[in-house]
Amino acid sequence: MGRRRFIKTISSTLLGIAAPNILKAKSSLGKGEKNPNLEYRTLGRTGLKVTAVSMGVMNCSDPAVLQRAFDLGVNFYDTADCYMHGHNEEMVGKAFEGKRQKVFIQTKVHAHDEKKMMASVEKSLHRLQTDYIDVLVWHGHSTPEEVSDPRLFEFMSKMKKEGKVRFAGFSAHSKMASLLREAAKSNFHDVALVSYNFTHSKALKEAVALAAKSGIGVVAMKTQTGGYKKEKMGGLSPHQAALKYILMDENVSAAIPGVTTIEQIEECTTVMGASFSKGDLSELKQYQSFLQGRICTMCGGCVGECPDGVSYGDLLRFVMYRDGYESDGLVREASEQSMMLRNIERCSGCPSCSIVCRRGVDIQAQIQMAKQILLV
Amino acid sequence: MNRKRLLILILAWIFLLIKVSHGKTPLESLVPKKDLPKAWALIEGPHIYTKKTLFKHINGQAELYFKYGFRESVFAIYQDRKNSKNQIEVDIYDMGNVIQAFGIFSRFRNEDRPGGFGLDSFFDEHSALFYKGKYFVMVYAEESNSDPLRQFCKLISSMISDPSPPPEEIGYFPKSGFKPGSIQYFSEGFLGHQFLEKGFQGTYIEQVEVKAKAEAGSEDKDKAKTERKEFHLFLAIFKNPEDALSGLTIYKDYLTRKGEVSLETPVGFGPHSFRAEDPYQGQVIVVQKGFYLLGVGGFEKEKDAENLLKEFMKNTR
Repeated sequence: MGRRRFIKTISSTLLGIAAPNILKAKSSLGKGEKNPNLEYRTLGRTGLKVTAVSMGVMNCSDPAVLQRAFDLGVNFYDTADCYMHGHNEEMVGKAFEGKRQKVFIQTKVHAHDEKKMMASVEKSLHRLQTDYIDVLVWHGHSTPEEVSDPRLFEFMSKMKKEGKVRFAGFSAHSKMASLLREAAKSNFHDVALVSYNFTHSKALKEAVALAAKSGIGVVAMKTQTGGYKKEKMGGLSPHQAALKYILMDENVSAAIPGVTTIEQIEECTTVMGASFSKGDLSELKQYQSFLQGRICTMCGGCVGECPDGVSYGDLLRFVMYRDGYESDGLVREASEQSMMLRNIERCSGCPSCSIVCRRGVDIQAQIQMAKQILLV
Repeated sequence: MNRKRLLILILAWIFLLIKVSHGKTPLESLVPKKDLPKAWALIEGPHIYTKKTLFKHINGQAELYFKYGFRESVFAIYQDRKNSKNQIEVDIYDMGNVIQAFGIFSRFRNEDRPGGFGLDSFFDEHSALFYKGKYFVMVYAEESNSDPLRQFCKLISSMISDPSPPPEEIGYFPKSGFKPGSIQYFSEGFLGHQFLEKGFQGTYIEQVEVKAKAEAGSEDKDKAKTERKEFHLFLAIFKNPEDALSGLTIYKDYLTRKGEVSLETPVGFGPHSFRAEDPYQGQVIVVQKGFYLLGVGGFEKEKDAENLLKEFMKNTR
């Protein structure tokens, strides 16, 4: 078996995803390489040419990191109205003062009544020091109904007409595949910001392809699968490999790793233009082994369905956030809280749960864990 | 046992009791339940959130709190009996110590609008933030609610018995040119670098002369005018003086590669110092003192910046 074929086979088997075309046997860029080979991709029907490695600004502490990212050529930045009480947007606005035409900014809005949504957009514009938002996404959709809600579509259309928003989309942490499939049916959304990483199922990969084919620019978040720290993984640092892996999917327009320091953005941007090597594969294999059965990685590969329609995926996400990120995810959603509590009560008391994880995660144990988390 | 011994024993017992109970006030008890502002009632909570559950309350933001040593928090909602849509939400976070509480407070405050409660505060008609002891408190309302917001804050502040003073590092920052309310504490990635880890930063204002192009038709050519410009004093904290010295070397090496380091050691700052051009912070002078790296960055008036840094060094114990 040739080296290339060997890697392809191993990759398909271990990662559960076929990666035929972009996988290369060549070694990746050296760690010392600081000048990235910029790779631009088209963000769906928006036509924006965004850097394949872009930046999630959520936890960034110093404008210097944004300026370094800009100098490295990164041109697409994701923030939100609610991050740090709006200061995250302010930092983006300040860092790109005088450079606005050279960057694309994506921020978010929560579904409320129109007056509140308008106020939210106005505040974002003010904090970002700009007249327009390149991409405005609904924060954390979780149902197909939300994805195709004509009321929300009308609001975005209005914002576009007024020139305040260029393109619209939604973000999702769970049920990504079904939401992407729903979004692909209409032209409501120009962009979809979804959790997508090397642990995810073929179903999500296919949904990403379907969405991309329909003209939606797919932006991948949570590309590092929970962001375990090196010390927790015996020194393993699979972040570059995980990024490379997701960028092998040409239906992904950009990945937005969450970056907090200059060193991290330098590490991430070297991934652009780099091949996915045997060493990367080895790292991901180890990482996957580390994650195997440990936590739900939201791969979407659950077998079986809840007859009561409980959104158990959301419950599992909480466990991932606790164990993996020690919390990550987005949005403050007080309204979701009561639904979560109702779900966990129904779920944990159910004697006939039929959901099975293909990766060996004990779903029932995870739900009990979620119960402990939610009902402390 | 004589009376004197008995008295000593009782006093020792009381002392122990105070010691043990100190800082162990149940967080829930800090949620006001009586003496509420007129016509206001508690309608939801208190809900307690731990490190395991905070994300379900504030989702991604939880990560920032964890960086600042979050222990647990409590959340409650109050309602105006006269107008059910008028609600106030209260979040009280136990951050473990006063430095972390100040740190998270400083990351949320963006301007100097003190409200007169806690050790320091921010106040507007929709929200109020303050920290006191190890607690960081957020009170917010969708409607304009200045008076009840202030009353809730004062009430909560009065219930917090943690006597910790503000972080002493705040007092090291010189007053001249200081922008009030600008000191921030970063628990990691200080100045955007992994190697600097944690530290305090304060903003200063200098008046700099800039050449402005004369208006069309004006006889004057280039006019000089003054402009307010911000620069920073910073203080990175290390575990010991050796680590601080090592931090100085790493920072200098970084700037040798990415910026431009002056060959001469700056006069008056001792051997453990350097002057450089940082690509993102501008002109910097950095000096090691004890556990700290002290510095000034982004300035234009060199002499003034040097004097400010010297005063900063003098203040730093």
